[in-house]
Amino acid sequence: MGHGGLRRLALPGGLLAGILLLALITPWLPLPDPVRQDIAGRLAAPAAAHWLGQDEYGRDVLSRILWGARVSLSVAFAASLLAAVAGTLLGILGGYFRGVVELLTVRVAEVVLCFPPLLLALLVVTLLGPGATTLILSLAILFAPGFARVAYAETLSARALDYVTAQQALGARSGRILIRTLLPNIAPPLIVQFSLTIAAALLLESGLSFLGLGVVPPSPSWGLMIRGARATMEQAPLLLLWPCLALSGVVLVLNLFCDRLRDVLDPRGRTQGRPGFLRRIAALPTPASPASAVPGLLAVEGLTVALPGPAGAPLVRDVGFTLAPGETLAIVGESGSGKTMTALAIMGLLPGELRVVSGRILLTDDDGRARDLLRLPEQALRRLRGNDLAMVFQDPSASLNPLLRVGVQVAESLHAHGATEDVQARVVALLREVGLPDPERAARAYPHELSGGQRQRVMIAAAVANQPRLLLADEPTTALDVTVQAQILALLAALKRAGGAMGMVFVTHNLAVVAEIADRLVVMYAGEVVEEGPVTEVFAAPRHPYTAALMASMPEGEAERLSAIPGAVPQPWAMPAGCRFAPRCDFAIEACRTAPPALVAPAPGRRTRCLRWKELA
Amino acid sequence: MLGFAARRLLVSIGLVWLVASLVFLVIHLIPGDPAELLLSQGGIAPDPAAVEELRERLGLNQPLWQQYATYLGGLLQGDFGYSLQDEHPIAEEIALRLPRTLELVGAAGLIAVLLGLPLGTVAALRAGGLLDRMLSAVAALALSVPVFVVGTLAVLVLAQQLKLVPAGGYVPLAQDPLRHLGLLLMPAGTIAVGLSAVVFRVTRSSVLEVLQREHVRAAQARGTPPAAIIRRHVVRNALTPVVTVIALHLGTLLGGTVLVEFVFNWPGLSGYLVRSVEARDYPEVLGIVVVISALFVLLNFVVDLLYAVIDPRVRHG
Amino acid sequence: MSAAPLLRGEGLTRAFHRRGGLFRRGAPVMALRGVDIAVHGGEAVGVVGESGCGKSTLGRILLRLMPPSAGRVIFEGEDLAALPAARLRALRRRMQMVFQDPYGSLDPRRSVGAQIADGILIHGLAGKAEAGERVTALLHQVGLDPDHARRLPHEFSGGQRQRLAVARALATRPDFIVADEPVSALDVSIQAQVVNLLADLRAELGLALLFISHDLHVVRHLCDRVVVMYLGRVMEEGRASEVFHAPLHPYTRALLAASPSLRRRGNPVAPLAGEVPSIANPPSGCVFRTRCGLAQPACAEAVPPLEPMPGAPGRRLACRRAAELG
Repeated sequence: MGHGGLRRLALPGGLLAGILLLALITPWLPLPDPVRQDIAGRLAAPAAAHWLGQDEYGRDVLSRILWGARVSLSVAFAASLLAAVAGTLLGILGGYFRGVVELLTVRVAEVVLCFPPLLLALLVVTLLGPGATTLILSLAILFAPGFARVAYAETLSARALDYVTAQQALGARSGRILIRTLLPNIAPPLIVQFSLTIAAALLLESGLSFLGLGVVPPSPSWGLMIRGARATMEQAPLLLLWPCLALSGVVLVLNLFCDRLRDVLDPRGRTQGRPGFLRRIAALPTPASPASAVPGLLAVEGLTVALPGPAGAPLVRDVGFTLAPGETLAIVGESGSGKTMTALAIMGLLPGELRVVSGRILLTDDDGRARDLLRLPEQALRRLRGNDLAMVFQDPSASLNPLLRVGVQVAESLHAHGATEDVQARVVALLREVGLPDPERAARAYPHELSGGQRQRVMIAAAVANQPRLLLADEPTTALDVTVQAQILALLAALKRAGGAMGMVFVTHNLAVVAEIADRLVVMYAGEVVEEGPVTEVFAAPRHPYTAALMASMPEGEAERLSAIPGAVPQPWAMPAGCRFAPRCDFAIEACRTAPPALVAPAPGRRTRCLRWKELA
Repeated sequence: MLGFAARRLLVSIGLVWLVASLVFLVIHLIPGDPAELLLSQGGIAPDPAAVEELRERLGLNQPLWQQYATYLGGLLQGDFGYSLQDEHPIAEEIALRLPRTLELVGAAGLIAVLLGLPLGTVAALRAGGLLDRMLSAVAALALSVPVFVVGTLAVLVLAQQLKLVPAGGYVPLAQDPLRHLGLLLMPAGTIAVGLSAVVFRVTRSSVLEVLQREHVRAAQARGTPPAAIIRRHVVRNALTPVVTVIALHLGTLLGGTVLVEFVFNWPGLSGYLVRSVEARDYPEVLGIVVVISALFVLLNFVVDLLYAVIDPRVRHG
Repeated sequence: MSAAPLLRGEGLTRAFHRRGGLFRRGAPVMALRGVDIAVHGGEAVGVVGESGCGKSTLGRILLRLMPPSAGRVIFEGEDLAALPAARLRALRRRMQMVFQDPYGSLDPRRSVGAQIADGILIHGLAGKAEAGERVTALLHQVGLDPDHARRLPHEFSGGQRQRLAVARALATRPDFIVADEPVSALDVSIQAQVVNLLADLRAELGLALLFISHDLHVVRHLCDRVVVMYLGRVMEEGRASEVFHAPLHPYTRALLAASPSLRRRGNPVAPLAGEVPSIANPPSGCVFRTRCGLAQPACAEAVPPLEPMPGAPGRRLACRRAAELG
C-alpha cells in the first residue's frame, strides 16, 4: 500500500468521516425537535430559525435531515455488519471445507440470490411488518449472500495456494489456518464489499421508506422526506431538493471511497495509458542524419529502454548487435536481463509504460535500403509486422485468442497484408507445413482443443505466413515439456533451412537450447550485452566471467557439486556503479567496481564487457 | 450445444421449483396466521368466526402437505388462486401487468447497452485521458443518485416546471402507439441512468483487462489493423463480464421497478406487488414472487446460453 | 537398503472428478495408477516426468495433503489413513514440504520469521523466545541474514524465498521432505544455489528427500535413486547414475535424448513424435506405446508390470520388451 494510494483515499475518507461525525453528534447540536409540528410554519421558506425551511407539517427540515442521517446510516451500517459477519462465515466455511458444508452454506445463499433483492425485502416486510428492526433484518438477509459469494470465491482460490497447503503440512489445525492465514488474505475484497454494501443498503432503505414500507413515520428518514415532499412538489420544490441532495451526496461519497479503497487494496486495475496499436507516432522523433546502409539484415545500435519518468531507470542500456540474412542469433540471459524487452523493441511492441530513450534499429529492405524501425510511424511499422518481421511468443495458450478458431487467427496474418484469394487453402497449407496432423480439422479447432505444442505450431504458422525476413522467437519452448521442446526446436530449424534468407533472433534463458539452434549468441546481464560471438567459440572459451559461470551452473556436467553464482541480479533502480556483474563475480577487482567497463573485441567477431578478459583465457 | 442447453434448462426448472417451495414454506411457517393478519385492522382483534370462515375458504385448515400439493398442482396449470381483496383471479392480473414491466425493463436495458457499451470501450481505449475522466465522473454521479430521486427530480423539472413531458401514466400501445412510447420514455430513461453507468463501468474495466492480454499483442504482431484488433480481440473477449452484470441488473429490475412504477404511475407488476404487500394479500404476493423468480431463473438460463455462444470453452466444457 | 523403509506407498491411485454439472459426475481422470514407492531414512529419491505424469500428486499423497483413491501410505509402519486426526497432525512434524512457486508458498501478509516459527510453535518444540533463536539459526543455516526475520516475503528475491521455504520446512526438524519442483521457477544460476543447499542439508542432517522434477540432470546431481513416471505410472526405477548413464526404458531414453545439452551442436532432432496423450483418455496397455519406437501390437493389450531387472539390484522396468533392452 503506497503513500500515493493513501493520499487518494484522503478526500473521500475525510468527507465520509465528516458525515459520520455529524450524524453522531446530532443529538447535542442546537437543533429544533425533528418531530415537533408547527402548522403555522407549514412549507415556510428558509429563514434564520429554520435554515432549510419547514416541511408540510411545519417541522424543521435541517433538523430532520441530520436526524434522518442518523436513522438511515445506522440502519445501513447495522444491516451491512450483520450481513458481513454472517455471509463471510458461510462463505469461508463453504469454501474451506467443501462437500456437505459447501452445500449447506454457499448453495443456500445462492438460492437467496435467486430472488430479486427489492422483492425479497418486500417479502420480509410483508411477513414481519414495517419498522427499523425488520428493515435491518431484511437488508442483512439480502446482502449476506453477496458476502458469502465473495468470501467463498476468495477462499477457494486462496485454499489452492501453496502457503495454505504449507500450513496444513506443518500440522496446523483448521481453525488456526482459517483465522491466521486465510482471513487476513481474503480481507481486502471483503472490506471493499462492505463499503459497497453500506451504499447499497442506504439506497434500499431509502427506497423502501419512500414506498412507505421502511422507517415508520414520524421518525425522520430521507426516503420518507422525499415521499412527503412529492405531495407538495408544486408549492415547495426546494423541500424535495434537500433530502435528494443529502441522499445522493452521501451515496456519492461512499461510492468514491469504495473506488479509491479498491485501487489501494488491489492495485491490479490501474490505468495503463493508451494501447500501443492506437499510437500514431514513431517511438523516437525523426533523426537529423539519414540512416546509412548497413551490411546484413538487422542492426541494433545503442538501444536504451527505460521505465517512465525523467529519471526512469533503464531496463535495457546501450544494446547493440547485428544479424546476417539466414543467420540465427540467440539472445541469452536470466530474468531481468532485458532480453525480451530488446525483442519487443524491435517489433515496436513494448508495453505502454516503457519508452525507448535512444538508439537505432535498422532493418534492410529487399532492395538493400535500411530503415530505422524506431523512427517509423506506427502505421508504417504495422505494414512490416507479420510481413517482414514476425514474432513467436513464450506462452502459446495466452497468445492465442481463446474465442476464435485457430484458422481465423492464422488467416489474420494473410488478410492484414492484402491476401484475399485462397486464404483458407493457404491457412491449411501453412498448418500442414508446421506439422499439425489433419490440418483441415485443426484450422476449425479452437485453441483449447489443441495441446500446448500444437498451439505453438499454430503461432509459428501465423508468424511465417508471409515469409518474413526476420523471425523473433521469445522463449518459444519454455512453457513446453522437454520432448515437445525438442519438436518445436526441430521445426524452427527446418523452417529456417527451407526459408533460406530468413534471419532468426531466438531469445532464451537456456544455454543448452542455444547450443542446438543458434549460430551466434549475445549474452545479456542486467540490461547490457556482456558477451557476443559465434556459439562454438563462446562455449569453447567464454571471455566474460558471467558466461563462464552460467555454463558452469548448468546441471549437466560430471562434477559432484554444481557451481552456483552467489547473490541475485540487481534491480534496475539499484545498479552497481561499476561493472553490473562485479558484486557476484569471482574475478572482480577494485577497478571493476568504480567504472563501467566498455565492450571490447578480444578476437574478430567477438566482444566482451570485462576488464580482465585476458586473464580468463 | 443442444445437450448443454438441455442440461441448463433442467437445472433451471429445478431452481424454479425450489424457489416456489421455499416461498410457500416461508409464508406458511412464519408465526402468525395469515387469515388473522388479514382481518386484523389497527390492532383490533378480529371476529374469531370470520377468521375461521376465511381459513376454511383458503384451505388453511388442511395439513401443510395437502396445501402444498394443491398449490403446486395449481402452479402447473397456471392457476395462482384468487385475490383475497376482490376475489379476482391472480393469474389474469399478472398476465395483464407483466408485459408492461417487461417492456419497461427491456427498454431501459436497451438504452443502457447502447450507451454504456460503446462509451465504456472508448473510455478504456483512452484510459487516463480527458474523455475517460469526464465519462467516469459522470458515471460515478449517475450511480450515486437513487432511481426514485432521478425519477422524482425528472418529474419536478421536466414535467412540472418545464412542462415538456407528461408527469406519468400509461396508455396501451394498441390505443395510441405514439403516446404509449412517449409515456414509456420517462420511466425507462430514469432506470437507464443508473444502468448505463453500471454497463459503462463494467465494460471499461473489462476492456482494460483484456487489453493487457498476450493475444492482443500477438494480433498486433501479425500486423492486424487496430479496428480489427478492437472488434475481434478486445470487445468480444471483454463481453462475458458485461453480459453477467447486465443480466444481474435486469434480473434485479424485474422486481425493482417498484420505485419507478410508483413515481410514474406505470401500472406494472411491481405496483401490483406493493399493493398486495400493503394489503397482506398473501396468495397475491406468493403468485407474483413465484412469477418474478421464475423469470429471474429464465434470465440466468438465457445468460448461460449467451456465455456458450460467446465462449467455445463453455460449450465444450 | 535392506532395512525397512521410512516411508512406503503401496498401489497409490488417485482419481480426480471433473465437475459434470448438477446431476452427473464427469468421468474420473486418473492422475496416478497403482504406484509403489519407498523412501529409506536419509535417502534422496528423484521423481521425474513431464506434465501430467502424476509426480506432484504423488508428493502430496505421500504427505497426506490429499487422500489416495486407493492404496496406502505407511510411515514407519503406521498407515497414515488409519491414524486419528491428532496423531496425524503430530506426525506432520516429521514430514515437510517445499513447493514449486516461491511466490505462492509464503503468506504475503506475515513476516518470514513468524512463518518459519509456525511449525515450532504448532508442535510446541520451543517457547516463544526460544523459537526466535531457532529462527535465527535456521535463517543462518539456509544462508540468509538473520536480521531479515521481520521482513515480509515480497522483500526477497525468488531464490531467497525458496531458501525461506526450506527454512520453514526444516524448522520442525523433519526426517523426510518432499520438494515439489523447488528449482523450476528459478534462474539457472540461482537454481544451482538451491540444489547445493538441499545437498548440503541432506548431508548435514541425514534427511530423506523426495525430489520432484522434470529435469533429469538436476535429479542426477541430488538423488541416490530415480523414479521415471509417465501418465500416472512408473516406467523405470533405479540408481540415479545407472538410469542416467544406461537408460533402459524407451521413454527414459527419449527424455534424456530430448534434453538439450551444451555439448551437442547442430540441428536439433526430436526423439519423440506427438505429445503426452490426454490423461482423461490414456492409451490402453502400455501408456507410452503411442509414442514408442519399439511398440508392438501386444503392447496395447496389457499394462506391462513394473518388474525387477535380473542382475541389476534396485532396478525396475515396466516394458514388455525389457529383455531386448539391456
